[in-house]
Amino acid sequence: MLTKILLDEEQMPKQWYNVQADLSSPLDPPLHPKTQKPIGPEDLAAIFPMELIRQEVTTDRHIDIPEEVQDVLRLWRPSPLYRAHRLEKFLKTPAKIYYKWEGVSPAGSHKPNTSIPQAYYNMKAGVERLATETGAGQWGSALAFATMLYGLQCTIYMVRSSYTQKPYRKSMMHVWGAECIPSPSTKTNAGRAMLEKDPDTPGSLGMAISEAVEDAASHNNTNYALGSVLNHVCLHQTVIGLECREQLAMVDDYPDVVIGCVGGGSNFAGISFPFAGDKLTGKHKDVDIVGAEPASCPTLTKGLYTYDLADEAGYTPLLKMFTLGHDFVPPSMHAGGLRYHGDSPIVSRLVHDGVMRAVAFHQSEVFDAAQTFARTEGIIVAPETAHAVKAAIDEALRCKKTNESKTILFNCSGHGNFDMSAYDAYYAGSLVDYEYPDELIKEAIARIPKIS
Amino acid sequence: MKKIGFLINPIAGMGGAVGLKGTDGKLGEATTRGAVPQAKNRAKITLNALKNNKNLIFLTPSGEMGENALKETALEPVQVISYPENDSTARDTKIAAQRFLEEGVDLILFCGGDGTARDIFDVVGRNVPILGIPAGVKMYSGVFAVNPFIAAEIVAQFEIQLLRDSEVMDVDEDAYRAGELKTRLYGIARVPSLAGKTQLSKQIYEDSNEERAKKEVARFIHEIMIPDVLYILGAGTTTESIAREIGLNKTLLGIDAIKNGKLVAGDLDEKTLWSLLEQGQEAKILVSPIGAQGFILGRGNQQISARIVKRVGIRNIIVVATPHKLRETPLLYVDSGDPVLDKNFGYSIQVISGYRMAQRKKIFQLL
Repeated sequence: MLTKILLDEEQMPKQWYNVQADLSSPLDPPLHPKTQKPIGPEDLAAIFPMELIRQEVTTDRHIDIPEEVQDVLRLWRPSPLYRAHRLEKFLKTPAKIYYKWEGVSPAGSHKPNTSIPQAYYNMKAGVERLATETGAGQWGSALAFATMLYGLQCTIYMVRSSYTQKPYRKSMMHVWGAECIPSPSTKTNAGRAMLEKDPDTPGSLGMAISEAVEDAASHNNTNYALGSVLNHVCLHQTVIGLECREQLAMVDDYPDVVIGCVGGGSNFAGISFPFAGDKLTGKHKDVDIVGAEPASCPTLTKGLYTYDLADEAGYTPLLKMFTLGHDFVPPSMHAGGLRYHGDSPIVSRLVHDGVMRAVAFHQSEVFDAAQTFARTEGIIVAPETAHAVKAAIDEALRCKKTNESKTILFNCSGHGNFDMSAYDAYYAGSLVDYEYPDELIKEAIARIPKIS
Repeated sequence: MKKIGFLINPIAGMGGAVGLKGTDGKLGEATTRGAVPQAKNRAKITLNALKNNKNLIFLTPSGEMGENALKETALEPVQVISYPENDSTARDTKIAAQRFLEEGVDLILFCGGDGTARDIFDVVGRNVPILGIPAGVKMYSGVFAVNPFIAAEIVAQFEIQLLRDSEVMDVDEDAYRAGELKTRLYGIARVPSLAGKTQLSKQIYEDSNEERAKKEVARFIHEIMIPDVLYILGAGTTTESIAREIGLNKTLLGIDAIKNGKLVAGDLDEKTLWSLLEQGQEAKILVSPIGAQGFILGRGNQQISARIVKRVGIRNIIVVATPHKLRETPLLYVDSGDPVLDKNFGYSIQVISGYRMAQRKKIFQLL
């Protein structure tokens, strides 16, 4: 029995898969934050290159991956698919557990799958600098890596709590030549306003997005890049799921359950959209697709499906998505990459339609799972990824109870080598199990005449 | 230079070892039973650890109430501020505390138990921060360091900007000797905070400031308050800040009731509280863990009795606390007087700790 299922380089996907092609009806369009009318390509042209705007809205099923992008992706792709024999044995589960290991990329996570094409299209459009935000630093380091390859400058607004918690992510960005600024900063109007309101704020992805968007919109040579949420980002990540489907076919298997952790939704989209497509088109109607999110920021399980801003200051379009409110500042938990108030509109739509579902976990149970994984499979995963590990282990234990030999696939999206302070906190017993008081909020919303 | 008012209750703790559950009014009996003074030795551990700190000046009563311990550890400079006649009365403690207040000390470091804390608090209130080196029989107050070493660390790192609230508890010694724990919230002192030097200093942004944290909790609770529901607010500064957010004055140590943004009644006793719940009045109870041990019910808010909790319903209890307090309180306790009711709280509870933010905390339950 194989442990690693490997594809040859020439088997790397040549096209991305666009799940928008297989939705029963078009996505609700993004709305202009001021007029509340659907936005057009021209509204986005100030901060995105035209090709990415096209990819954002297209309903073409397949989109070619440029040869120059494939060249770079081949540095680590196709990534290995592992059969978690040791974990299965430890859990004594009849289930088969597979995990896609995205930690082999130079930045150590799935993020370069989209930072590379985003930097490439911006370079092609003559853009000189990219501005972006980053939570835990995974995305920032991935974009720093990509912009360096294509000769662009890069400015990264890093959520302040993570900037302090994860100094080595910042160092990686410097190695790849990018500038990293803690957010909120005094560099932008949005940042100054937020600091005035609350000088001690830990920051949030929503705040950092506002700063990066303002930076891009106010400089002609500068565009904006987002590491998650948007349709084109999810699109670029589908290489993960496409490879998985091929790799599983090599061992004559197909998943019963597909799992990813969810912050903005891109790694979850990456592993699951090809399988969601199979479900939508009736090829595999029964595949169970599960997003794992933190109980402290439970967007999909406790949020509302409605139009909301993607950032704190209100620069971005209104997106139809699950949201906890754009002014929600999640606590400084260790899975910084999952601290986002909203979610990918496509993921949200698929959850809303029942094609996918979500589960939420507390910090300490997530680290229990990460420890089990490290002590069986060896990999010390990122705290974000640990949510997916937890969901996979729970599923495998359920199979043990029901004696089902389901095939479980999860996205092992990144390593935790720069997150050891989080593991230290876990061993010191000082992890806080934050949670969102949704019942109180929902009761209040239902019974108070007006609530902002 | 930081001015430290230093005081030992020389007889603190003597009753404990000989089974007297407290030394108040029992010194003779304790001595007869063979108890030896031990507070000074506890205090000297802290003083030794502060020996090389050149940034401190000690003000102290003469003799066994402080001066001797400082001399024996060769700590200086020392300024004697009072001369107790006999080394053990509450009156001597209060005189020393009054002198500390007049001298404008930055911090009062005392070695004793709950009784000593009460005597000092009676005089200085919230005007001077206090910190206890634990040496008493009973230490239900939250003003004590975990041990004498930690006390030294806190003194060394003490900064006036980093203060937090902590309860001074009053335990009825006679009842306690009879096997019954009757505590009530006596007052809320200011104590030096350890924020910034604990393990989680990375998360300091959200809990470096207690006042800010309380405001966040209060802002959220205000936002989710429902019309026509009676809100019963327990004792403490966290619930007080909720009242303040609404624009009301709350009794700090009492139980108050609020409805539709108005104070229905303040400082309620159990019977009056019960009468407010008649005729199907829908209610919610807002409480903060009390005392160093983290009791949600049964310490400092006994007016919220078992029958009141049953009438309101456990699911309508909203527990609130700042992140700092929760960090120092690994477990929460319920002691409503009805063991079955206590059990019904289950093994964990949600505690509102910020704006739209909560923590899941374990509740201690006997198996």
